[in-house]
Amino acid sequence: MPQDNKLYQELLKQKDEISRQRKEIIESLEYACLIQTALLPQSSSIQKKLHNNFILYLPKDIISGDFYWMYEREEDVLFAAVDCTGHGVPGALMSILGISSLNEIVSNIGDIKANRILNQLREKIMKSLHQTGQGGESKDGMDISFCVYNRKTKELQYSGANNPLYYIRQDVLHEIKPDKMPIGVSGIEEKSFRNNVVKMKKGDVLYIFTDGFPDQFGGPEEKKFKYKPFKNLLLEIHNKNMKEQREILFSSFHAWKRDFEQIDDVLIMGVRID
Amino acid sequence: MKLTGFRIQNFRSIIDTGWTYLSPDNITGLIGQNESGKTSILEALNSFFTGTISEDILRSDLSLPCVHCIFDIIKVDVEEELNEKRLPDGVIDEIKKKENIFLKRSWGEDITSHIELAGDKVLEIYRGFYGKREKEEKKIKEKIEEAINEHDNAIRKSEKAFSEKEEKHHELEAAKEKLTLLQKKQKAKKNGENSNTIKDKITETKKYLEECRNFHVSAGKNAEILASEARKLSKKANLARESIQAEKKFLINKKELEESYKELQKYQRIFDMSYDEKERRASRTQLDSSNEAYVRVLRNYEQSKEDAILKKIVAFKVLSGDSIDEVKNKIKKEKPHIDKYYSLEEAGRKLFNYVPEFVFFEDFLSLLPDRIDLHDIHTENTNIEGYKAARNFLMVSGLNEDFFQQTNNRILKHKIEKLNKEITINFQDYWRQSIGKHNKIKINFELEHYDNSNPDKSGLPYIEFWIKDREERLYPKQRSRGVRWFLSFYLELQAAALSKNGSDIVILIDEPGVSLHARAQEDVLKVFDNIKERVQIIYTTHSPHLIDLNKLYRLLAVQRAVDEDESSETKIFDAKSLTTASTDTLSPIYSLMGIRLSEQKFIQKKNNIILEDIATFYYMKALTDMKNFEKQVFYLPATGVSNIRSLVNMLLGWGIDFLVLTGTNKEGDDLKHDLTKHLFANNEDLANMKLIQFDHFKSIEDMFSTIDFKKYILHKRIGIPESNLEYIVNNTLSRSILASNFMREVKDSKLKWGSLDEETRDNFSYLFDELSKRLE
Repeated sequence: MPQDNKLYQELLKQKDEISRQRKEIIESLEYACLIQTALLPQSSSIQKKLHNNFILYLPKDIISGDFYWMYEREEDVLFAAVDCTGHGVPGALMSILGISSLNEIVSNIGDIKANRILNQLREKIMKSLHQTGQGGESKDGMDISFCVYNRKTKELQYSGANNPLYYIRQDVLHEIKPDKMPIGVSGIEEKSFRNNVVKMKKGDVLYIFTDGFPDQFGGPEEKKFKYKPFKNLLLEIHNKNMKEQREILFSSFHAWKRDFEQIDDVLIMGVRID
Repeated sequence: MKLTGFRIQNFRSIIDTGWTYLSPDNITGLIGQNESGKTSILEALNSFFTGTISEDILRSDLSLPCVHCIFDIIKVDVEEELNEKRLPDGVIDEIKKKENIFLKRSWGEDITSHIELAGDKVLEIYRGFYGKREKEEKKIKEKIEEAINEHDNAIRKSEKAFSEKEEKHHELEAAKEKLTLLQKKQKAKKNGENSNTIKDKITETKKYLEECRNFHVSAGKNAEILASEARKLSKKANLARESIQAEKKFLINKKELEESYKELQKYQRIFDMSYDEKERRASRTQLDSSNEAYVRVLRNYEQSKEDAILKKIVAFKVLSGDSIDEVKNKIKKEKPHIDKYYSLEEAGRKLFNYVPEFVFFEDFLSLLPDRIDLHDIHTENTNIEGYKAARNFLMVSGLNEDFFQQTNNRILKHKIEKLNKEITINFQDYWRQSIGKHNKIKINFELEHYDNSNPDKSGLPYIEFWIKDREERLYPKQRSRGVRWFLSFYLELQAAALSKNGSDIVILIDEPGVSLHARAQEDVLKVFDNIKERVQIIYTTHSPHLIDLNKLYRLLAVQRAVDEDESSETKIFDAKSLTTASTDTLSPIYSLMGIRLSEQKFIQKKNNIILEDIATFYYMKALTDMKNFEKQVFYLPATGVSNIRSLVNMLLGWGIDFLVLTGTNKEGDDLKHDLTKHLFANNEDLANMKLIQFDHFKSIEDMFSTIDFKKYILHKRIGIPESNLEYIVNNTLSRSILASNFMREVKDSKLKWGSLDEETRDNFSYLFDELSKRLE
């Protein structure tokens, strides 16, 4: 029927338009991904600072709301795993804000303390997003595990906003809990982040990560992976070399996920102490 | 060179001032009561330069005076200046290291003086050098004496041997004679004696004769040997004797030189004290003649010195084994280098040529006259009243003889008019007083010629001076003494500054401006400030108007060791230790400051901390309470960093102990630098004890963590990525209001130390620890 034909043509037309727009969006996102990748530390640079490490970085979409960050000053290596609110474009935009803020903070800071860096980062994010704690404003922010490792003294400072740190020593996993407040405004008035200090030993392996892996749905019962199995997995693999650990985590993730959609960006950083 | 310090010993009431340093900005004031010894200090410094003292400056215990002066050598290359001879190793390095030299003038019982290089380290080096030299000299002397003694002994032995030989010769002759007699007897065949007896006697005698002959020969040989030894030693001994003779001659010439020098100094003194040109001419003849004699004696001295040294060295080397010819050749080559060392006195005299000129103004005996003949100016007739002031006037005006040779009266009058204007403007910069509401005084001079009413001088030129104001024109003598004094003082200082053409000068002024009004006395200080780049000024005063309250570092307090005991010795206190000077000594400072601050409650004798401003005051008060700081402190808020200096000077003058606490910023850094330099004489350790800055924080607000700043000071939940101070400035908030609100909260016990963030507590704990180390 001619009316049906018209509709069909219209549909075809819209389909083509959608395809074209999709293609444009994808290309734009891929280009944005290049920019985002350029802002992340390069693997050669990471290798120079932390010889024995791996990074498992699996953005959910083309661009990611998670990012990893690194900086070196004399004997101190600063590194972080950050989970910005959201994923995809909003998350990626937040990540840019996060990266530039961290870079600015460390270039001006005198005495390096992990918690004071997070305090300052929070101020910057609150200022950038005009957050005052009053209702009706953006609650965006980030969760972060922030570490400062001194290669000479082997002292590790850790400060966390909602994200913990694990380290395994002689086959025992230790967890350092984070502060339950984000980098950004929250329901309670801001307090200083705690600065946790641990003396690392040769052979220790530490892990910082975002919640993408443990929160991934999958498995035979279509549930979240969860933290306990995640810890067990890390315990199982921690003695292997870093490259192998990454591969196992990668394959484990995909084996768990199967056909389920990846629900969030995944980021795990592992460092073995020399 | 610039005078930087001094030490005076045994000069009137002064036993020993110890090392005293002058103000670094070229103006030093000596304050103290009458009879404290202030003038004596100036006189002593003047004597250092002139070399002359009078007997009345000698102390009753007959101890001899001595004045040391320290000069910086920034403009002088000492090595280049002392290049005719050498200095002992280490002296130049020491001088260069310290960048200064010490010169000492001491007087002997006959009131003559000599100048020498001084300084503990330099003297130590010289002592070592002289000690070593003395040992060498001793060694040489011993060797010379040994040679002479040896030779004398050899001669004695030789003479003894010849004597012995002579004796043996006599014995031999006697034996020969005896034998001859016996032989004659034997020939005569006289009865009476047994011929056998005679035969025996002849045999015995022949034997004895043989013995005598042998002894004689051996004595002769011995004598020859000893004579030969003595001859061998004689060459060396002669060299030794020549050396001793040369030394004696040198000592005689040295004594002659000393006496000739004393005579020269005597005539020099007479010449310097000559009243006028006539007297100077008369004394010049004697001076010249004495100078010639001195030069002659000096030549002899130097020649005999060189001769003595050469002969000593030759003797020593030969006695040590070198051959004479070898030594003499060596000496010819080494001659320029032998003993060419400056003695302390020689070095001192040489360097004395570069010290600044000291000019002592006791009083202005020379006030500007009403007029003065040009002839008196040209002939330097110091006898004429006002000559000095008039001469200074002309110098400051830039006038010389040529000026007055101008024949065209119109041109001359025009030039004079122009100069009058310039001099007046310049003078008015300093003399701020007006007579009447707007009447500023003007200085004028005119060139006139005597008329027939003065027949002796008819037609001769003279200069007439006027001090004019808007209403009338009066001769200087018709003006007040104060105006005349100030004008003459101004002219004297300006002329002195000009006359040296940039070379250094130290002006010593005793009680300037006693006859001036308070304001005019302040003008005197202004003149000092104007010329201080060109001249150094040391002045005495007990007037508060001659003290700059913002520059108390210029002051040295002079007083007797025991108050009210004029027989006790004079003591000096510099700016850092003014607190130990007596109240009476410091009374000019007290008068200047008005009420005595130490009687107020908010300032105590100790543990006062000067803060930049009221905001810092509130925070520090609050935090001291919150922390329960164990020491009692008294905070004094200044009204900005720039006013801290005045507060420091006030507390210093009142003998009140204090610390200064500022932020780490440009103003705070400048203040610290300034106070370190002027108050603590660049002693960094002492300055760091007294001057504290917030550890890399620009202001006290930055010592709070951002969290605490937002929570307890701003009471806002916003993002503050910049520093707390920047936030306050960017948002034009009042620091004082924020601070006072904070303090109120603390006082209302709403805020405790434990409520503060760890970062805030760490920062302030560090600060209080630093304060605690410095407080009592």
